[in-house]
Amino acid sequence: MEYLIHILILICLYTILSASLNLIAGYTGLLSIAHAAFYGVGAYVAALMALHLQSSFLLNIICAIVLSGLLGALVGIPSLRIRDDYFVIVTFAFQVITFSILNNWVSFTGGPMGLPGIPQPELFGLKISSHLGFLALIGFFCVVTLLITRQIVLSPFGRVLKAIREDEVFTQAAGKNVATFKVLVFVIGAGMASLAGVMYAYYISFIDPTSFTVMESIFIISIVIIGGAGSFWGPVVGAIVLVLLPELLRFVGMPSSIAANIRQILYGGLLVAFMMWRPRGFLGEYAFQNKEARE
Amino acid sequence: MLWQLIINGIIAGAGYALVGIGFALIYNVGRFFHFAHGILFTVGAYTAFLCNQLLGLPLFLSVPVAIAVTAASGCLLNLVILGPITRRGGSPLVLLLASLGLYIVIQNVISLCFGDDIKTLSLGTIEKGLDFFGARVTPVQISIVISSAMLLIAVALFLRTTGLGKAMRAVSSNAALAEVCGISSRRLVLYAFGIGSALAGIAGVLAALDVNMTPTMGLNALMMGIVAVIIGGSQSVSGIALGALLIGLAQHVGAWKIGTQWQDSIAFIILFIFLLLRPEGFLGKKIRKAAV
Repeated sequence: MEYLIHILILICLYTILSASLNLIAGYTGLLSIAHAAFYGVGAYVAALMALHLQSSFLLNIICAIVLSGLLGALVGIPSLRIRDDYFVIVTFAFQVITFSILNNWVSFTGGPMGLPGIPQPELFGLKISSHLGFLALIGFFCVVTLLITRQIVLSPFGRVLKAIREDEVFTQAAGKNVATFKVLVFVIGAGMASLAGVMYAYYISFIDPTSFTVMESIFIISIVIIGGAGSFWGPVVGAIVLVLLPELLRFVGMPSSIAANIRQILYGGLLVAFMMWRPRGFLGEYAFQNKEARE
Repeated sequence: MLWQLIINGIIAGAGYALVGIGFALIYNVGRFFHFAHGILFTVGAYTAFLCNQLLGLPLFLSVPVAIAVTAASGCLLNLVILGPITRRGGSPLVLLLASLGLYIVIQNVISLCFGDDIKTLSLGTIEKGLDFFGARVTPVQISIVISSAMLLIAVALFLRTTGLGKAMRAVSSNAALAEVCGISSRRLVLYAFGIGSALAGIAGVLAALDVNMTPTMGLNALMMGIVAVIIGGSQSVSGIALGALLIGLAQHVGAWKIGTQWQDSIAFIILFIFLLLRPEGFLGKKIRKAAV
């Protein structure tokens, strides 16, 4: 039973991560492999504050979102000058630098040893300690994230994001300030990712940099793409499929020593297969081709 | 001390330049970021390891076999996966993602086959290193610098003098116009994959001989190659060589001041500076931006 709840919690966490990345990559068309960096910043801010300042759960969430949002703006700004594949490298660079800081600034982040002993969160005098409690908490934030993304994409703001994805020059010509929109969507997406990080830190109660590597970022973007970029339910479907598939292999009796490799082969292979036969994923409406590329 | 660091920087830069030039060849003709190029670096190293240490072939046979295997794997990736995606109208980002997927799959297959531990391609005896005006340099490191310089000159000459090289330059400057003139980009892409992958394989074998190998070595090497290409300009062999030298030197001199664990960050900060101030690289032409 606990195992089942753990899987559900993972699905919720990855839904938050991929739904927020979907805003950036799926709706706005800014392919980014820096999402695990925002995720990690959220986790580390919450962990450090809880350990050193004993500050409250909600305050930690707010601080994590603010800091991660600022970093999101920092990554969003280059997207005004640099596009497509060059921008992917910029996000990659941001991801690697963030990981280096988490891994090498030992006196502050604990380095490779990580940060153990993160206390259990307390919400309105209620201590959350059971698996079920965490599922309720994380599930709640997952639903909130999904509702917010739904509001965003249905709003005029969301329509401008899609317009930027389809034709940036035209959007600019129609009088929209493309720069503001791009930076804002990064701020929002990064803030949501850090929320997932905070939840992860409290849930696992131990964090180390290996949870926030480039490969994790690639995993999150794979969820978005396989589920369907630019679709509301895409990230949910993607998270369910990509979290469950490796777990299913466990039941066929695959030794756990090769499980990590098999998991990566699985989503790498899926990524290749989808790019070959169905670049828009299960449900997506965006296949990483803008107007310029189609012509 | 500084002199030794400069020498080390040049050696590192020579390796980055080899990876970068192969990546740029493929990028110029295929017009997408070929992430799986990084894994061919690893494939080169591990094929040499397999031939030399496990099958017992002598080194002078293992190295050519490794280079041939990487060149063939590069062509195979293009023929089976990336070429068909291009023909279906896949955008550069779709190709980038497919190539990234290939990287992940092959890297994990190598991990499964050989294990994640560090492997060495030992030359039998541990050489003391030669004295080079006060700096220690091993014969392998000298051969890295010499072979990298020779290969870079060869690629530059190939692009300027041979018909195939000129066709590649034509496609990279204007693919549609080149197609109109009867240059088949499909064939050229295959050649670019063959040559580029062979260069990555050579770089991988040399790196394995110099230090050691792990299944994840390729991604780092590729990133440094890409940074060299971006700051040097993808169209210019000398630009890439200069870019690679700049990163190599900055990493090693920087490591002296702030420690080796920040070497990747140093390279990427240089990349940020270039992208913000001079995104076309110091010898390149303008990169694609949103424009009418």
